[in-house]
Amino acid sequence: MLLLAAAFLVAFVLLLYMVSPLISPKPLALPGAHVVVTGGSSGIGKSIAIECYKQGAFITLVARNEDKLLQAKKEIEKHSINDKQVVLCISVDVSQDYNQVENVIKQAQEKLGPVDMLVNCAGIAMAGKFEEVEVSAFERLMSVNYLGSVYPSRAVIATMKERCVGRIVFVSSQAGQLGLFGYTAYSPSKFALRGLAEALQMEPLETKLISGTSSVCSPEQVAKQIVKDAMGNFNSSIGSDGYMLSLLTCGMSPVTSITEGLQQVVTMGLFRTIALFYLGSFDSIVRRCMMQGKKSEVVDKTA
Amino acid sequence: MLLLAAAFLVAFVLLLYMVSPLISPKPLALPGAHVVVTGGSSGIGKSIAIECYKQGAFITLVARNEDKLLQAKKEIEKHSINDKQVVLCISVDVSQDYNQVENVIKQAQEKLGPVDMLVNCAGIAMAGKFEEVEVSAFERLMSVNYLGSVYPSRAVIATMKERCVGRIVFVSSQAGQLGLFGYTAYSPSKFALRGLAEALQMEPLETKLISGTSSVCSPEQVAKQIVKDAMQGNFNSSIGSDGYMLSLLTCGMSPVTSITEGLQQVVTMGLFRTIALFYLGSFDSIVRRCMMQGKKSEVVDKTA
Repeated sequence: MLLLAAAFLVAFVLLLYMVSPLISPKPLALPGAHVVVTGGSSGIGKSIAIECYKQGAFITLVARNEDKLLQAKKEIEKHSINDKQVVLCISVDVSQDYNQVENVIKQAQEKLGPVDMLVNCAGIAMAGKFEEVEVSAFERLMSVNYLGSVYPSRAVIATMKERCVGRIVFVSSQAGQLGLFGYTAYSPSKFALRGLAEALQMEPLETKLISGTSSVCSPEQVAKQIVKDAMGNFNSSIGSDGYMLSLLTCGMSPVTSITEGLQQVVTMGLFRTIALFYLGSFDSIVRRCMMQGKKSEVVDKTA
Repeated sequence: MLLLAAAFLVAFVLLLYMVSPLISPKPLALPGAHVVVTGGSSGIGKSIAIECYKQGAFITLVARNEDKLLQAKKEIEKHSINDKQVVLCISVDVSQDYNQVENVIKQAQEKLGPVDMLVNCAGIAMAGKFEEVEVSAFERLMSVNYLGSVYPSRAVIATMKERCVGRIVFVSSQAGQLGLFGYTAYSPSKFALRGLAEALQMEPLETKLISGTSSVCSPEQVAKQIVKDAMQGNFNSSIGSDGYMLSLLTCGMSPVTSITEGLQQVVTMGLFRTIALFYLGSFDSIVRRCMMQGKKSEVVDKTA
């Protein structure tokens, strides 16, 4: 009986070894690489740019506001490690028009060479009750967060496929792994990024795509993790709840190592159990708030 | 040892019983209910309308083409079970402008009463390689499939919350559970529906939202399953054995509506993930093989 289980385990591990070489992408070396970061003038985008710059990359920052771009450029340049490094700033709204975005990428490639890594960090967030959120917000969030990642990716993909090297990073959110109360306009845009990453990942094979998710952390921590995982993982997460969520919601996502696959297989059932209790508790919180809301309405009316 | 395991199991089941009543919504009775179906003039939408009509509901069909709407209306009316039933047709593009959609819902509610169930079936599909798909397609697909479901839902939600009764159904796809080769424009729009359903589900509590997914089946089969799950109040609805497997595997943080469903998920997720890894490995080889063949035929063409 034990022998059978051991034999099965060995066979399983061997099969996984056979599967795994198909999934590891060619390594990408940051020194001298051309990294484009959208939304790079602030927040996580800026931290990612700094992190790559510290490791020797050439950066192109893409954002809308020229002043913020120049400020970010000054801040990034403090971290240079040699004389050749360059930080290029281009101002554009990545969600407005594909042709503009294509031009921006062309400009960047003329100055710093073909794009080795694209980090789609341009995005906005918004919360509110479904019936109170402005109707236009649904379109705007989807436009900036989703289309604003589609257009740059579309602009670099042909060159990456030709050269058979490259990375495209999508920065997602916990709201892209589960639907959160009040995020009916934001969650869908981040879920969409995941759908895009999973579908896109099947096509080029040599390009690895990562959805970054995070719990409450500093942009620098997030940036470090994303850049580290960009070197070959499909998924990137921060913190213990990020870890748990990623394993639980991996669904049909690809894996990039046996260890990751094994972790998922072993923990998914357990994490789903924990998740059910979390969901039950979210439910009670929402109900309790609804009850309190109704009571205070009654009190207001009688007062 | 066995006693401990048994005790743990009993405690677990009891806890789940405590959790589950919070999740079951008020039952919805179809006879006399007002069901709005967007994309109801063809395909799955029309089949859903027929299925609800057969059970006594009053239908409002919403689509763009008036001729197709009238044809669909005639077809649906053949299945009436009493004299009072009505099929109302309203022509509008649900993704164009929220105010138009709001007006349409108002009209429907003036004639047939408040909406009891909204089925968001309006959608388009498109496949192609990422760099070959027209750039405008990304926006168009997201607009019809996602915004075209947001607007009607937004128009009915206030009344449903007031009355504390209602169902909103989103029709998704297997492409909304996993990313498929060639569906870089379509998958995100269906993933977005899932994000919307999960986030929205947390808000009203009395409204149950369902993502319908299907393997290769007839629209009638899909419609039957969706309507059945909508009545029961299930969050997720799937067809076929691969649909079943996919739904359990990708349930992630989705809510459950019964203990059995929760137990099935907990027990099978690890196993299905293992199977999924082999599927992914095989998809990879297929794509690689096609790429190799593609390159060989290019070389042949050039030397010939």
